[in-house]
Order: sequence, then structure tokens, then C-alpha cells
Amino acid sequence: MNEKYAPILVVDDEPEMCWILENIIRKTGLDCRTALSAREAMDLTESNKFGMAFLDAKLPDIDGLELARKLRKTNAHLPIVIVSGYFYPDDPTIEGVLQAGLITAFVGKPFDHDEIVSVITRYARR
Amino acid sequence: MGDKTLKATGRDLSGRYKRLYTMLLDAIPSSVLLIDQNMRIVSANRNFLEKGQRTLANTIGYRLEEVFPTIILDQMDITKRIRQVIENNQPAKGERMTYRAPGVPIRIYYYSILPFTCQGQVEGAVLLMEDVTEQVRLSEEVRRVERHLGSVVESASDLVLSTDKKGRILTWNAAAEMLSGYPAAEAREHDFIDFCTDEDRKDIREIFSRIDTRKYARQMKEFSLRTKQATFIPVSWVFSPLKDSSNQTAGVVAVGRDLTERRKFETELHQSQKFAALGVMAGGIAHEIRNPLAICSSSAQFLMEEDGTPEFRRECAEKIHKGIQRTSAIIENLLKYSHPSTTTRTTLVNLASLIKETLTLVTYHANILKIDMKTSFPREPIMVQGVATLLQQVFMNLFLNAINAMPTGGRLRIDVKMDQPEVRVQVTDTGCGISPREIGKIFDPFYTTSIVGQGTGLGLSLCYSIVKQHRGTIEAESVEGRGSVFTVTLPARFG
Repeated sequence: MNEKYAPILVVDDEPEMCWILENIIRKTGLDCRTALSAREAMDLTESNKFGMAFLDAKLPDIDGLELARKLRKTNAHLPIVIVSGYFYPDDPTIEGVLQAGLITAFVGKPFDHDEIVSVITRYARR
Repeated sequence: MGDKTLKATGRDLSGRYKRLYTMLLDAIPSSVLLIDQNMRIVSANRNFLEKGQRTLANTIGYRLEEVFPTIILDQMDITKRIRQVIENNQPAKGERMTYRAPGVPIRIYYYSILPFTCQGQVEGAVLLMEDVTEQVRLSEEVRRVERHLGSVVESASDLVLSTDKKGRILTWNAAAEMLSGYPAAEAREHDFIDFCTDEDRKDIREIFSRIDTRKYARQMKEFSLRTKQATFIPVSWVFSPLKDSSNQTAGVVAVGRDLTERRKFETELHQSQKFAALGVMAGGIAHEIRNPLAICSSSAQFLMEEDGTPEFRRECAEKIHKGIQRTSAIIENLLKYSHPSTTTRTTLVNLASLIKETLTLVTYHANILKIDMKTSFPREPIMVQGVATLLQQVFMNLFLNAINAMPTGGRLRIDVKMDQPEVRVQVTDTGCGISPREIGKIFDPFYTTSIVGQGTGLGLSLCYSIVKQHRGTIEAESVEGRGSVFTVTLPARFG
């Protein structure tokens, strides 16, 4: 599926988390780019087209949800997944942004790799 | 002529003396009786006749038992005593006698019997009776008032004691006996200072030395009381000068209240405050723990797959190991902080390390709110005498307050400086600030600007009481909309 699908963006201030997500994504045959901050992520989106984005909720510069809003402005259809240890699945904030369509899915840390694989299979765009 | 005058003068003098003695005898407020060897009354003064409601006619020449009621004579054995005085020619002194005559109120006499001699021969005895009814009544009244005052002091649940000007214990009430385990008699062999800790002695000497000055007429201070079992009880003391009748300071009155119960309550309050702080930080803590957990979990999942290269598998194992160490360190910090501490014993505390440890705990919370933290510590270790867990709570409260004042990020600066003989800790935030109207109330208990359910309003009042307990100060300066600076000063210790 690699040829057809656009690379996936991973944004997390923890290099280890980026390493993990990158490995899971690459195992599915997709390409991946990582960013340690929202600023870095915004720079990457300027020169790259992404088929999906995994965002950490708490980034050093701006919040993951804030970054999601910025990404939405330029890419209304980008599937955005929040991967966070700060929120929990039925967290009112998460339920709210899911309903509003700001994010596509939420995965709580720690996670089973299957959860990541299943959101990729389900939402990743070409 | 001179001879005649002398004689006439002599006669006049003798008559005058007799009149003078009769007058004196009748004027003195005592009863005087002259009794002969046969126990007959030879002479009785006016006072006696009036007190006994008698006349000279039914008194002179009568026997003692005809004049005194039998009950008195039997009870007091006056006849026998008079006989002994006459026989031995020795006075009997200082006896008390209660006289009840029909129709007259009870009288109390103090009586003495003196032998009456003439030319070396004992002719009779003089019975001198002083009416002491009123004195006895007054002294009983005085004793009653004294007993009442005594029982007030004795019944007080507070320690009430007095010392001389040098601090020697004079009185020691029942509460002091009970709390200290020292009976009053034993306490009186000691100075007040003997019941205190070595560290408090300097302050106590100062209090006693200036008790005489008007400015320090009422000094309040907390000192531990050393008990007989060698334990220490926290006591809040008030020292006042003990004034004598000429308004001169004769000693010191010390009234003390046992603070054990209050300390227990405060400990519980501190503990609940800690949990409240942990609640505030829960999100940050969860985030901080779940990140390494996620790394461990994922690395383990990679290991479970068969296809990894040996290098990749080794990397996974290393990440698991590191993740567990990281999580464990966070949990250790939390445990240290939340561990209930009942001790109020002070130790030498390294303030810089304590502040750094506390900062580690709030970092999780601060990071999430995008608060930039800057610290500056002096190179040399900063030591203070104190209770480490209490001091940690002061800084935890100050840091959390500062962080909560910056919900959309900002800068938190912590400056620790030596300012001999004090150490000064400044916590500066760039948050919402405190209005001039509110700044005067921030150290009051239950005063809060937090939304209901988010703050207890006890944080700063606890900081205040803890810092005061450590003989330090806490001050706040703030510009609304710009931020606040909280300054804590504590006495520095060396060595």
C-alpha cells in the first residue's frame, strides 16, 4: 500500500515515542515523518503532503489540539489522531473534539500496537 | 514648803496614775480580769462586763464558775490553767477560746494568763482576753478568697505558673503537674528554663530579662515543655510580669496552652492539603507516568514479534529498562511527598535540595501548562533548622499557586539567596496577579479566589503558619495582570 498512500506525520516531544510510532507505521508499509514540536510539524506540512497525523496532546510550544486546529485550516480532510497520556478515552474534552470533527480518533498511552494499526488501516488517506 | 508640795504632788500622782490605769483598762478593746487564788474575781474591766452583759455587782467577788458558763470552763479548762500559772509563777500565752453567752453572738477570744505578784508573792492571776472575732472572720474571708483563687488556678486546664525574677519556679498548678509529670514540690526546685529545650533557652532568658520593661509586658512565644518522661510537648506561652503591692515586678507569670491537639489537627490539615495539591497535579503526573509506560509497553510488543534484528531487540530492552527507571523515580517523588509526616521535630534541612525536589514534582504540571521555569541557587549549601515536610509544603503551595496563576503559560522564577543571617526564597510568576483589595487577605484562612471545589483557601494561610513556626517571614507583592512575587525568609543555620 506504500506507493498509494501519503506519508504519516508523527508529532511528539518525546523522541522515544516518535521512534515507537515510526516503527509501527513502517511495519504497515507506510512512510513516516516525525516532529518534536508543533513548530517543526507546521514546517513539515508546508513542504509535504501527509495522509494522516498522530499528535501528542501536550507539546512544548502549543497544545496538540491547537495544532490540530491549525492543520485543519490548510487541510480539512486530514485524519488527525491524538495519542496522549494526559487525556482518557471518555474525557469530556476528547468527546467534544471528536464530535466536532476536529480529530478523527483518540488513542490513550500506553497502547496496543493493534490500536495504531487499526486507525491507520481505517483512516489513512492516499 | 518644797517638802509639802512634793508630798501633795506625790499623792496627786498616785491618784492620777490610778485614774489613768482605770481609764486605760476601761478603754482597751480587751477584757481584763484579776482573779485571786480562790478563783474569785477581784477586778473586771468595762470591756469584759459589756461583752458578758454583766455588771460589777454580779461579777466582783464571784467565783469564776459563776461568771463564765460551765461549758467554757470545762472545755477550755481555764480554772486548771489559772491554778498552774499561780502555782508555777509562769505565764500561759497564746490560747484561743470561743465564748458563747446566752443571747450574745459567738465571740472568739485570744487569751493569756499572767501571774499577779506583789512583793514576790503570787496573789492571783490576770486573765487577758482579746476579742479576735472580727480578725478571725476577716482572716477566714481572706483564706476563702485565697482558696477560691487557688482553686481557679488549680482547676484551669491551662498551665499557670509563677517564677521569681530569675525564673525560679514559685507556683505550679495542677495542669502543669499533669502535663509535665513533675509535682509542684519538685518543680519548685527548678528554674523555668530547666523545662525547656536547649535551643529555646536563649529566647527564654531574653523574655525574662526584659519582662520588667513596659514594651514587653506581655510576651507570647511557643516553647516545648520537657516532661519527666523526657518527651517534649508543644506549648504556647504568655509571659507577664508578676507585680507586688507597690507595683514593682516581683516575678513572672506564665500561662501556657498545650498545643498537642492543635498540632494533630494541623498535621491532618497539612496532609489533606498535600492530597489536594496532588489532585491539582494529577493530570501532569498521569501524563508523566504514561509516557514511559507507553514506551515500555510498545518496546515489549516489538520484542514479542519474531522479526526484529538483534540490535533492534536490544534497543527495545534498553528502552524498557530506561522507562521503568523513569516511572519509578516519579513514583518515588510522589511517595516522598505524600508520605504522612507526624513529626514536628526540627532537623537541619538543606533548603536548596528540598526546593529542587519540590520543583521536580511540579515540573510535570508546569510543562503541561507551558510554563517556563528558571531557578537560581547559590553555590554553597543552604541550611535551615526546620521540619522538612512542612517546608516542602510551603514551597509546593507557592509553586502551585504561581503555576495556577498562569493557566495559559508564563514564566516561573525561583531565586534562592543568602542574605545573612537569613536565607531568602523568591517565587516570581508572570500570572494574573492579585488586586490591591485582595492582597491584604491572602494569608487569611479560607480566603480564596479559586472556583468553588478547586481550592480550599488554606494553602497560603498554612504557608504563613508554617513559616512563622520556623521563625521566618512570608510576604507578597503583586501587580494585577503582571504577576506576583512571594518572598519567604528563614533564619539560616551554619554547620
